[in-house]
Amino acid sequence: MLILFRNLFTLMVFPAGIFLIFNGMMYQWLDRKLVARLQNRVGPRWYQPFADVLKLLANEEVIPDGVAPTLFILLPIMGLAGALTSALYVPIMGLTPAYSFSGDLIVTVYLLSLLTLSLGLAGANTRGQFSMIGATRTLTQLFAYEAPFLLALLGPALAAGSWKIADILAYSQNSWLILSQPIGFVVVIVGLMGKLEILPFDAPEAETEIVAGALTEYSGRGLALFRLGQWVELVIGLTLVAGFYLAGITNPLAYIWKTGLALLFIITLQTTMTRLRIDQTVGLWWRYGAILALLQWVLIFLMRGVL
Amino acid sequence: MATDEKKRFIVPIGPQHPALKEPGHFAFEVDGEVVKSATMRLGYAHRGIEKATESRTWVQNLYLLERVCGICSHIHSTAYCLGVERLAGVTVPPRARYIRTIVAEIERLHSHFLWLGVAAHEAGFDTLFMYSWRDRETVMDMLETLTGNRVNYSLNVLGGVKYDIEPEHDTQIREGLFYLTDRIHRYIDVVTHDTLFLKRTDGIAITTLDDALSAGLTGPTARASGVQRDIRCDAPYLAYCDVPLQITTETDGDLKARFVIRLHEMLESCRYIEVLLDKLPEGDLTTRMPRRIKAGETISRVEAPRGELFYFIKSNGSDTPERIHIKTPTLANIASVAQLVIGQYLADVPLILIGIDPCFSCNDRMVIRQNDTWDVWDGERLRQYGIQYYASGGESC
Repeated sequence: MLILFRNLFTLMVFPAGIFLIFNGMMYQWLDRKLVARLQNRVGPRWYQPFADVLKLLANEEVIPDGVAPTLFILLPIMGLAGALTSALYVPIMGLTPAYSFSGDLIVTVYLLSLLTLSLGLAGANTRGQFSMIGATRTLTQLFAYEAPFLLALLGPALAAGSWKIADILAYSQNSWLILSQPIGFVVVIVGLMGKLEILPFDAPEAETEIVAGALTEYSGRGLALFRLGQWVELVIGLTLVAGFYLAGITNPLAYIWKTGLALLFIITLQTTMTRLRIDQTVGLWWRYGAILALLQWVLIFLMRGVL
Repeated sequence: MATDEKKRFIVPIGPQHPALKEPGHFAFEVDGEVVKSATMRLGYAHRGIEKATESRTWVQNLYLLERVCGICSHIHSTAYCLGVERLAGVTVPPRARYIRTIVAEIERLHSHFLWLGVAAHEAGFDTLFMYSWRDRETVMDMLETLTGNRVNYSLNVLGGVKYDIEPEHDTQIREGLFYLTDRIHRYIDVVTHDTLFLKRTDGIAITTLDDALSAGLTGPTARASGVQRDIRCDAPYLAYCDVPLQITTETDGDLKARFVIRLHEMLESCRYIEVLLDKLPEGDLTTRMPRRIKAGETISRVEAPRGELFYFIKSNGSDTPERIHIKTPTLANIASVAQLVIGQYLADVPLILIGIDPCFSCNDRMVIRQNDTWDVWDGERLRQYGIQYYASGGESC
């Protein structure tokens, strides 16, 4: 009975579930507020993401003609569920992950990709041209950033000699991997930006071309769930980056300031950049991202050989 | 053929679309991300202003024509006033001419800043958008202190201007220009050096000099391709007769050149306004204007921020015009977009469209052909007419 209660609690309240959603909203607000301040705007108040989600949940969900309704409703749920589940394997708030097994890093990255896949399928499911192009671009981008992102995340794993998140964290606690693996850090941060489709990698939802990309036909609950999924993904991604590259996160305070630092990095990049075309995004990732990540690997191997 | 029809993937942009600030419809046939063909349809914002002028008096039309365009409102009423004053044979006092010119140049600053922001937004560079619109507020403040209005300044009256430039306005404008000059230099630096921004503008959608000439482009859009054409220099009016303006051109003809040309024009405007303020003559602001305008017809050409603005004005001797026809610069430039986008990436299309600084509602016209007995002039006849017109000093200062 107690175990059941504990499992339910980890799934629904902490670290996955309500807490993570709340955390995601706060980071989302921080992102919006700081970008606004950097752009000489006022920006939203702290409860704006809550208000947005509440309003969307209250809205009617329109299911357009020509879609498979089950898929249309299921995809946002799948995306959010994937993002929330991945929280079970990462040290949210600097606490020990709820579950841990050898190779959980791969599972986490896979679960994070589930959201992007759902997004792509959701776009392809509808008949609108904007959604179709958005879906194509989302999936193209998935293939572009995923490999370099994973390679860069595996850098610390290689250095630690384990693909278990807990082991990598134990290894990185003592060393700022951002100093010994700077290339990996840059690639993983930029990879996270690609994953979250934020500037300059927001070609899949470029509003001036294809309105809202894959999400164009979504309204109400579906849209709210997709957005929540993206915000949760932001938190998980930041936790992984901070844990691996910024000397681990062992307590809530370290968690907040280290993920905050990584977020600040993303925000600065986001404010100073122009949206790339999808072909330029892909070119950037395969020409530079993947090569750089591999270069980092070579350096790690060499270091290990020398030491 | 039927299967071909099915295979075509057409992306509709408009009439309502986030990339468009005004309603217009564009259908782009794409192959993957590359545009194969483009069709466009305008006319969603037709307001019937030309017809409406015929039922209003000469003075009332000032109010109406200032509202043809929300961005270049002053230049419309200037073009109208210049035409009507020429018909009436009235000479405007020099101070009024200078004030009209100063406000026209401030308006150009405001229009180009607005364009810079919108174009940066289309490229996905919202920071530049926000910054340029913040700086545009300086220009708006100048206009507001000068005339009391931010958008439709209502500066012109037939025979002069309503508002004077007092010494405190002079100081405010000079201070504003000092700040803006600094900012414009910053933006020139950004659009010519920002690597990611250049990826979206450098070498994209090149209009060669020949293309620009054959398409009859006008304004900054043409000058970005190296066309030396500027009404302010070619057929000077107002204070441009006394104080020469330096015409700036770029030769690349790509999107980057369109950014650079407009920013350089803004610099030149800043310099020019200061020169005019230095040389501002003393005297009256208005002169007497008859209520009825002598019968006759005239044209009036001015350089709006977007290019050549053309007014045809015909009077039958009464207190209302017989016919007013307006040709806005967008009409000359918009057709080139359909050619330019072919072979470009879909992602570049909004930027290419905005590159000509389109203004649909100013441009929308309706023509009803009831019987085809029109006297259509060919190019050679137009050319001969133009030679005669200028030989007889048709449009002197």
